[in-house]
Amino acid sequence: MDDGHAKKFQKELNVGIVALVLLAVLDRSSQDLYGYEIAKRLHRANDGDGLFKEGTVYPVLRSLCEGGFLKSRVEPSSAGPPRRYYRITREGRALLVQWNGIWIQTRDFVDRVLRGDES
Amino acid sequence: MSRPAPRSIDDYLSALRAALAGSDPALIQDALYDAEEYLRAEVAANPGVPEAEVLERLMTTYGSPEEIAAAYRDTELKVTRALQPPASKRAASPDPIMQFLSVYSDPRAYTSLFFMILSLVTGTLYFTIAVTGLSLSLSLAILIIGLPVFIGFIGIARAISLGEGRLLEAVTGERMPRRPVHPGSGSLWERILAMLQDGRTWTTMAYLVMMLPLGVIYSSVALTGLSVGVAFLLVPLVGIAQRSEWWVSSNTGPLVFSPWWLDTPMGWVFCAVFGAIVLTSLLHVARIVVRLHARVAKVLLVT
Repeated sequence: MDDGHAKKFQKELNVGIVALVLLAVLDRSSQDLYGYEIAKRLHRANDGDGLFKEGTVYPVLRSLCEGGFLKSRVEPSSAGPPRRYYRITREGRALLVQWNGIWIQTRDFVDRVLRGDES
Repeated sequence: MSRPAPRSIDDYLSALRAALAGSDPALIQDALYDAEEYLRAEVAANPGVPEAEVLERLMTTYGSPEEIAAAYRDTELKVTRALQPPASKRAASPDPIMQFLSVYSDPRAYTSLFFMILSLVTGTLYFTIAVTGLSLSLSLAILIIGLPVFIGFIGIARAISLGEGRLLEAVTGERMPRRPVHPGSGSLWERILAMLQDGRTWTTMAYLVMMLPLGVIYSSVALTGLSVGVAFLLVPLVGIAQRSEWWVSSNTGPLVFSPWWLDTPMGWVFCAVFGAIVLTSLLHVARIVVRLHARVAKVLLVT
Protein backbone atom coordinates (compact mmCIF):
# COMPACT_ATOMS: atom_id res chain seq x y z
CA MET A 1 0.00 0.00 0.00
CA ASP A 2 1.20 3.51 -0.79
CA ASP A 3 2.98 5.01 2.23
CA GLY A 4 1.79 8.46 1.18
CA HIS A 5 -1.82 7.54 1.93
CA ALA A 6 -0.91 6.38 5.43
CA LYS A 7 0.99 9.60 6.09
CA LYS A 8 -1.85 11.75 4.82
CA PHE A 9 -4.39 9.85 6.94
CA GLN A 10 -2.19 10.20 10.03
CA LYS A 11 -1.73 13.91 9.35
CA GLU A 12 -5.47 14.51 9.05
CA LEU A 13 -6.10 12.60 12.28
CA ASN A 14 -3.40 14.50 14.15
CA VAL A 15 -4.96 17.92 13.72
CA GLY A 16 -7.38 17.55 16.61
CA ILE A 17 -5.53 14.86 18.52
CA VAL A 18 -2.43 17.00 19.09
CA ALA A 19 -4.53 19.72 20.73
CA LEU A 20 -6.31 17.12 22.89
CA VAL A 21 -3.10 15.43 24.11
CA LEU A 22 -1.43 18.79 24.74
CA LEU A 23 -4.29 19.81 27.01
CA ALA A 24 -4.09 16.41 28.75
CA VAL A 25 -0.31 16.64 29.33
CA LEU A 26 -0.61 20.14 30.78
CA ASP A 27 -3.59 19.13 32.91
CA ARG A 28 -1.64 16.24 34.47
CA SER A 29 1.52 18.24 35.06
CA SER A 30 1.95 19.80 38.49
CA GLN A 31 4.29 22.43 37.05
CA ASP A 32 4.38 24.68 34.01
CA LEU A 33 6.02 23.10 30.95
CA TYR A 34 7.80 24.60 27.95
CA GLY A 35 7.38 23.51 24.33
CA TYR A 36 10.49 21.32 24.14
CA GLU A 37 9.59 19.53 27.38
CA ILE A 38 6.02 18.87 26.24
CA ALA A 39 7.22 17.55 22.88
CA LYS A 40 9.66 15.19 24.65
CA ARG A 41 6.96 13.92 27.04
CA LEU A 42 4.68 13.10 24.12
CA HIS A 43 7.57 11.40 22.34
CA ARG A 44 8.28 9.24 25.40
CA ALA A 45 4.57 8.47 25.90
CA ASN A 46 4.56 6.91 22.45
CA ASP A 47 7.64 4.74 23.26
CA GLY A 48 9.86 7.04 21.25
CA ASP A 49 7.93 6.38 18.08
CA GLY A 50 6.44 9.74 17.18
CA LEU A 51 2.99 9.69 15.60
CA PHE A 52 3.54 13.32 14.77
CA LYS A 53 6.56 15.54 14.38
CA GLU A 54 7.47 17.33 17.58
CA GLY A 55 7.65 20.63 15.74
CA THR A 56 3.93 20.52 15.01
CA VAL A 57 3.25 20.95 18.74
CA TYR A 58 4.24 24.62 18.73
CA PRO A 59 1.60 26.12 16.40
CA VAL A 60 -1.09 24.20 18.30
CA LEU A 61 0.22 25.47 21.65
CA ARG A 62 0.02 28.99 20.31
CA SER A 63 -3.52 28.55 19.02
CA LEU A 64 -4.65 27.14 22.39
CA CYS A 65 -3.00 30.06 24.12
CA GLU A 66 -4.72 32.53 21.80
CA GLY A 67 -8.07 30.92 22.59
CA GLY A 68 -7.47 31.42 26.33
CA PHE A 69 -7.20 27.68 27.02
CA LEU A 70 -3.56 27.97 28.07
CA LYS A 71 -1.60 30.70 29.82
CA SER A 72 2.04 31.33 29.10
CA ARG A 73 4.97 33.17 30.62
CA VAL A 74 8.52 33.65 29.38
CA GLU A 75 11.57 32.82 31.47
CA PRO A 76 15.23 33.23 30.54
CA SER A 77 17.15 30.02 29.89
CA SER A 78 20.86 29.30 30.06
CA ALA A 79 20.53 26.85 27.12
CA GLY A 80 19.48 29.42 24.55
CA PRO A 81 16.58 31.77 23.92
CA PRO A 82 14.05 32.50 26.67
CA ARG A 83 11.57 29.66 27.18
CA ARG A 84 7.83 30.03 27.06
CA TYR A 85 6.17 28.02 29.85
CA TYR A 86 2.56 26.95 29.48
CA ARG A 87 -0.15 26.23 32.04
CA ILE A 88 -3.73 25.06 31.45
CA THR A 89 -6.53 27.50 32.38
CA ARG A 90 -10.00 26.80 33.77
CA GLU A 91 -11.43 27.15 30.25
CA GLY A 92 -8.77 24.73 29.01
CA ARG A 93 -9.81 22.13 31.63
CA ALA A 94 -13.46 22.50 30.60
CA LEU A 95 -12.46 22.08 26.95
CA LEU A 96 -10.42 18.99 27.82
CA VAL A 97 -13.41 17.38 29.57
CA GLN A 98 -15.62 18.17 26.56
CA TRP A 99 -13.09 16.96 23.98
CA ASN A 100 -12.33 13.86 26.05
CA GLY A 101 -16.03 12.94 25.88
CA ILE A 102 -16.08 13.48 22.11
CA TRP A 103 -12.90 11.43 21.74
CA ILE A 104 -14.30 8.44 23.71
CA GLN A 105 -17.53 8.58 21.72
CA THR A 106 -15.63 8.77 18.40
CA ARG A 107 -13.17 6.02 19.36
CA ASP A 108 -15.97 3.66 20.46
CA PHE A 109 -17.95 4.37 17.31
CA VAL A 110 -14.97 3.75 15.00
CA ASP A 111 -14.06 0.58 16.92
CA ARG A 112 -17.61 -0.76 16.61
CA VAL A 113 -17.70 -0.07 12.85
CA LEU A 114 -14.24 -1.57 12.29
CA ARG A 115 -15.18 -4.69 14.27
CA GLY A 116 -18.30 -4.97 12.16
CA ASP A 117 -20.85 -4.89 15.01
CA GLU A 118 -22.49 -1.62 14.06
CA SER A 119 -26.00 -3.03 13.79
CA MET B 1 12.89 17.57 -4.93
CA SER B 2 14.45 16.85 -1.53
CA ARG B 3 16.95 19.34 -0.18
CA PRO B 4 20.14 18.34 1.66
CA ALA B 5 19.67 18.06 5.44
CA PRO B 6 20.61 21.29 7.26
CA ARG B 7 24.02 21.05 8.97
CA SER B 8 23.51 23.83 11.52
CA ILE B 9 20.72 25.66 13.35
CA ASP B 10 21.20 28.66 11.07
CA ASP B 11 20.93 26.39 8.00
CA TYR B 12 17.73 24.90 9.37
CA LEU B 13 16.22 28.32 10.06
CA SER B 14 17.14 29.55 6.57
CA ALA B 15 15.52 26.46 5.05
CA LEU B 16 12.41 26.99 7.21
CA ARG B 17 12.25 30.63 6.13
CA ALA B 18 12.52 29.53 2.47
CA ALA B 19 9.81 26.87 2.96
CA LEU B 20 7.49 29.48 4.46
CA ALA B 21 8.14 32.01 1.69
CA GLY B 22 4.95 33.77 0.70
CA SER B 23 3.25 33.10 4.07
CA ASP B 24 2.14 35.77 6.46
CA PRO B 25 5.31 37.53 7.77
CA ALA B 26 3.92 37.38 11.31
CA LEU B 27 3.54 33.60 11.04
CA ILE B 28 7.11 33.29 9.71
CA GLN B 29 8.45 35.25 12.68
CA ASP B 30 6.61 32.99 15.14
CA ALA B 31 7.68 29.78 13.37
CA LEU B 32 11.35 30.81 13.35
CA TYR B 33 11.22 31.73 17.04
CA ASP B 34 9.65 28.40 18.04
CA ALA B 35 12.06 26.39 15.88
CA GLU B 36 15.09 28.17 17.30
CA GLU B 37 13.84 27.57 20.86
CA TYR B 38 13.48 23.84 20.21
CA LEU B 39 16.70 23.38 18.21
CA ARG B 40 18.89 25.19 20.73
CA ALA B 41 17.31 23.23 23.61
CA GLU B 42 17.99 19.95 21.77
CA VAL B 43 21.60 20.89 20.97
CA ALA B 44 22.12 21.92 24.61
CA ALA B 45 20.61 18.59 25.77
CA ASN B 46 23.21 16.70 23.71
CA PRO B 47 26.58 18.07 24.81
CA GLY B 48 29.50 16.59 22.91
CA VAL B 49 27.39 15.55 19.91
CA PRO B 50 28.19 17.59 16.78
CA GLU B 51 25.44 20.03 15.80
CA ALA B 52 25.18 18.49 12.32
CA GLU B 53 24.50 15.05 13.85
CA VAL B 54 21.82 16.42 16.22
CA LEU B 55 20.14 18.16 13.29
CA GLU B 56 20.16 15.02 11.19
CA ARG B 57 18.37 13.16 14.00
CA LEU B 58 15.92 16.05 14.43
CA MET B 59 14.72 15.73 10.86
CA THR B 60 12.81 12.58 11.90
CA THR B 61 11.71 13.66 15.40
CA TYR B 62 11.15 17.42 15.16
CA GLY B 63 10.38 17.47 11.44
CA SER B 64 12.04 18.81 8.31
CA PRO B 65 11.70 22.53 7.50
CA GLU B 66 9.12 21.64 4.82
CA GLU B 67 7.04 19.59 7.30
CA ILE B 68 7.18 22.32 9.93
CA ALA B 69 6.25 24.95 7.35
CA ALA B 70 3.24 22.84 6.34
CA ALA B 71 2.27 22.44 10.01
CA TYR B 72 2.29 26.18 10.55
CA ARG B 73 0.33 26.86 7.39
CA ASP B 74 -2.29 24.12 7.80
CA THR B 75 -2.47 23.03 11.42
CA GLU B 76 -2.52 26.48 12.89
CA LEU B 77 -5.33 27.50 10.58
CA LYS B 78 -7.40 24.37 11.28
CA VAL B 79 -6.90 24.33 15.05
CA THR B 80 -7.60 28.04 15.35
CA ARG B 81 -10.77 27.55 13.35
CA ALA B 82 -11.80 24.58 15.53
CA LEU B 83 -11.31 26.63 18.69
CA GLN B 84 -13.27 29.64 17.52
CA PRO B 85 -16.97 29.72 18.26
CA PRO B 86 -18.94 29.34 15.02
CA ALA B 87 -19.56 32.75 13.49
CA SER B 88 -23.19 33.51 12.87
CA LYS B 89 -23.73 33.60 9.16
CA ARG B 90 -25.41 36.81 8.22
CA ALA B 91 -26.15 37.23 4.57
CA ALA B 92 -25.19 40.68 3.30
CA SER B 93 -28.37 42.63 2.79
CA PRO B 94 -28.91 43.84 -0.78
CA ASP B 95 -30.51 47.00 0.62
CA PRO B 96 -27.85 49.78 0.55
CA ILE B 97 -29.33 51.45 3.66
CA MET B 98 -29.13 48.19 5.61
CA GLN B 99 -25.58 47.70 4.35
CA PHE B 100 -24.69 51.19 5.57
CA LEU B 101 -26.24 50.49 8.98
CA SER B 102 -24.70 47.00 9.30
CA VAL B 103 -21.52 48.64 10.61
CA TYR B 104 -23.25 48.88 14.01
CA SER B 105 -23.20 45.09 14.36
CA ASP B 106 -19.45 44.87 13.66
CA PRO B 107 -17.46 44.96 16.91
CA ARG B 108 -14.34 45.88 14.89
CA ALA B 109 -15.87 49.24 13.98
CA TYR B 110 -16.04 50.20 17.66
CA THR B 111 -12.57 48.85 18.47
CA SER B 112 -11.18 50.73 15.45
CA LEU B 113 -12.74 53.97 16.67
CA PHE B 114 -11.25 53.32 20.10
CA PHE B 115 -7.84 52.71 18.48
CA MET B 116 -8.10 56.04 16.65
CA ILE B 117 -8.81 57.96 19.86
CA LEU B 118 -6.16 56.06 21.80
CA SER B 119 -3.55 56.70 19.09
CA LEU B 120 -3.07 60.27 20.33
CA VAL B 121 -1.77 58.88 23.63
CA THR B 122 0.20 55.98 22.14
CA GLY B 123 1.53 58.18 19.31
CA THR B 124 2.85 60.78 21.74
CA LEU B 125 4.40 58.07 23.88
CA TYR B 126 6.06 56.26 20.95
CA PHE B 127 7.38 59.51 19.47
CA THR B 128 8.85 60.58 22.81
CA ILE B 129 10.48 57.19 23.36
CA ALA B 130 11.89 57.07 19.80
CA VAL B 131 13.29 60.60 19.82
CA THR B 132 14.66 60.36 23.37
CA GLY B 133 16.14 56.90 22.76
CA LEU B 134 17.76 57.86 19.46
CA SER B 135 19.21 61.16 20.68
CA LEU B 136 20.47 59.63 23.95
CA SER B 137 22.06 56.71 22.07
CA LEU B 138 23.73 59.04 19.57
CA SER B 139 24.95 61.61 22.10
CA LEU B 140 26.28 58.94 24.47
CA ALA B 141 27.84 56.90 21.66
CA ILE B 142 31.30 58.28 22.42
CA LEU B 143 31.06 57.04 26.02
CA ILE B 144 30.89 53.41 27.09
CA ILE B 145 27.43 54.04 28.62
CA GLY B 146 26.06 54.69 25.11
CA LEU B 147 26.10 50.95 24.40
CA PRO B 148 23.71 49.73 27.14
CA VAL B 149 21.48 52.74 26.44
CA PHE B 150 21.28 51.78 22.76
CA ILE B 151 20.61 48.08 23.51
CA GLY B 152 17.95 49.02 26.07
CA PHE B 153 16.35 51.40 23.59
CA ILE B 154 16.19 48.77 20.83
CA GLY B 155 14.73 46.30 23.37
CA ILE B 156 12.00 48.78 24.34
CA ALA B 157 11.28 49.53 20.66
CA ARG B 158 10.89 45.79 19.93
CA ALA B 159 8.60 45.31 22.94
CA ILE B 160 6.46 48.25 21.76
CA SER B 161 6.43 46.79 18.25
CA LEU B 162 5.13 43.45 19.58
CA GLY B 163 2.56 45.17 21.84
CA GLU B 164 1.32 47.41 19.02
CA GLY B 165 1.00 44.32 16.80
CA ARG B 166 -1.07 42.51 19.42
CA LEU B 167 -3.29 45.59 19.84
CA LEU B 168 -3.81 45.89 16.07
CA GLU B 169 -4.60 42.17 15.75
CA ALA B 170 -7.21 42.50 18.50
CA VAL B 171 -8.69 45.58 16.83
CA THR B 172 -8.65 44.53 13.16
CA GLY B 173 -8.06 40.77 13.10
CA GLU B 174 -4.95 41.21 10.92
CA ARG B 175 -2.47 38.46 11.87
CA MET B 176 0.50 39.95 13.75
CA PRO B 177 3.48 38.24 15.43
CA ARG B 178 2.87 36.54 18.76
CA ARG B 179 6.56 36.17 19.50
CA PRO B 180 9.19 38.90 19.56
CA VAL B 181 12.02 38.99 17.05
CA HIS B 182 14.52 36.37 18.10
CA PRO B 183 17.53 37.92 19.88
CA GLY B 184 19.80 35.73 17.73
CA SER B 185 23.12 34.16 18.63
CA GLY B 186 26.75 35.20 18.53
CA SER B 187 28.78 37.69 20.53
CA LEU B 188 27.38 40.95 21.84
CA TRP B 189 29.09 42.90 19.06
CA GLU B 190 27.72 40.60 16.37
CA ARG B 191 24.22 41.04 17.76
CA ILE B 192 24.55 44.82 17.90
CA LEU B 193 25.84 44.83 14.32
CA ALA B 194 22.94 42.60 13.27
CA MET B 195 20.50 45.01 14.96
CA LEU B 196 22.00 47.95 13.07
CA GLN B 197 21.95 46.07 9.75
CA ASP B 198 18.40 44.83 10.25
CA GLY B 199 16.14 47.05 8.18
CA ARG B 200 13.30 46.35 10.58
CA THR B 201 15.10 48.22 13.39
CA TRP B 202 14.89 51.39 11.29
CA THR B 203 11.38 50.83 9.93
CA THR B 204 10.24 50.30 13.56
CA MET B 205 11.78 53.69 14.45
CA ALA B 206 10.00 55.24 11.47
CA TYR B 207 6.69 53.77 12.68
CA LEU B 208 7.20 55.08 16.22
CA VAL B 209 7.97 58.60 14.94
CA MET B 210 5.16 58.50 12.37
CA MET B 211 2.62 57.61 15.04
CA LEU B 212 2.62 61.13 16.50
CA PRO B 213 1.25 62.96 13.41
CA LEU B 214 -0.98 60.00 12.60
CA GLY B 215 -2.26 59.87 16.18
CA VAL B 216 -3.09 63.58 16.05
CA ILE B 217 -4.97 63.16 12.76
CA TYR B 218 -6.77 59.94 13.85
CA SER B 219 -7.89 61.28 17.21
CA SER B 220 -8.94 64.65 15.70
CA VAL B 221 -11.08 62.93 13.06
CA ALA B 222 -12.56 60.51 15.63
CA LEU B 223 -13.31 63.12 18.30
CA THR B 224 -14.63 65.70 15.81
CA GLY B 225 -16.87 63.12 14.16
CA LEU B 226 -18.12 61.88 17.53
CA SER B 227 -18.89 65.34 18.91
CA VAL B 228 -20.55 66.60 15.70
CA GLY B 229 -22.58 63.39 15.37
CA VAL B 230 -23.73 63.29 19.00
CA ALA B 231 -24.47 67.06 19.03
CA PHE B 232 -26.75 66.85 15.98
CA LEU B 233 -28.37 63.68 17.30
CA LEU B 234 -29.34 65.56 20.48
CA VAL B 235 -30.85 68.56 18.66
CA PRO B 236 -34.48 67.32 19.00
CA LEU B 237 -34.04 67.03 22.78
CA VAL B 238 -32.60 70.54 23.04
CA GLY B 239 -35.32 71.92 20.73
CA ILE B 240 -38.13 70.34 22.74
CA ALA B 241 -36.57 71.42 26.05
CA GLN B 242 -36.20 75.03 24.87
CA ARG B 243 -39.63 75.22 23.29
CA SER B 244 -41.33 74.03 26.46
CA GLU B 245 -38.99 76.21 28.56
CA TRP B 246 -37.70 73.25 30.60
CA TRP B 247 -34.18 74.29 29.94
CA VAL B 248 -32.26 77.33 28.76
CA SER B 249 -28.47 77.40 28.94
CA SER B 250 -27.57 79.76 31.79
CA ASN B 251 -24.24 80.67 30.19
CA THR B 252 -25.08 81.27 26.56
CA GLY B 253 -28.79 81.96 26.68
CA PRO B 254 -31.20 80.18 24.38
CA LEU B 255 -29.76 78.20 21.48
CA VAL B 256 -30.47 80.10 18.26
CA PHE B 257 -31.16 77.98 15.21
CA SER B 258 -30.19 79.29 11.81
CA PRO B 259 -31.85 79.05 9.31
CA TRP B 260 -35.08 79.39 11.30
CA TRP B 261 -36.71 76.25 9.90
CA LEU B 262 -34.22 74.10 11.79
CA ASP B 263 -36.13 75.07 14.93
CA THR B 264 -39.22 73.17 13.82
CA PRO B 265 -40.05 69.50 14.41
CA MET B 266 -39.05 68.78 10.79
CA GLY B 267 -35.76 70.64 11.31
CA TRP B 268 -35.04 68.67 14.50
CA VAL B 269 -35.59 65.38 12.67
CA PHE B 270 -33.33 66.61 9.88
CA CYS B 271 -30.57 67.39 12.40
CA ALA B 272 -30.98 64.02 14.16
CA VAL B 273 -30.77 62.15 10.85
CA PHE B 274 -27.69 64.17 9.89
CA GLY B 275 -26.08 63.29 13.26
CA ALA B 276 -26.86 59.60 12.75
CA ILE B 277 -25.32 59.72 9.25
CA VAL B 278 -22.17 61.39 10.63
CA LEU B 279 -21.82 58.76 13.39
CA THR B 280 -22.41 55.84 11.03
CA SER B 281 -19.96 57.25 8.47
CA LEU B 282 -17.41 57.72 11.24
CA LEU B 283 -17.64 54.02 12.14
CA HIS B 284 -17.13 53.10 8.47
CA VAL B 285 -14.17 55.47 8.19
CA ALA B 286 -12.65 54.12 11.44
CA ARG B 287 -12.91 50.54 10.19
CA ILE B 288 -11.27 51.34 6.84
CA VAL B 289 -8.55 53.63 8.24
CA VAL B 290 -7.46 51.23 11.00
CA ARG B 291 -7.49 48.27 8.60
CA LEU B 292 -5.17 50.20 6.27
CA HIS B 293 -3.11 51.30 9.24
CA ALA B 294 -2.67 47.65 10.32
CA ARG B 295 -1.36 46.78 6.86
CA VAL B 296 1.15 49.63 6.92
CA ALA B 297 2.16 48.65 10.48
CA LYS B 298 2.72 45.10 9.32
CA VAL B 299 5.07 46.22 6.55
CA LEU B 300 7.05 48.46 8.93
CA LEU B 301 7.06 46.28 12.06
CA VAL B 302 7.09 42.74 10.70
CA THR B 303 8.22 42.35 7.11
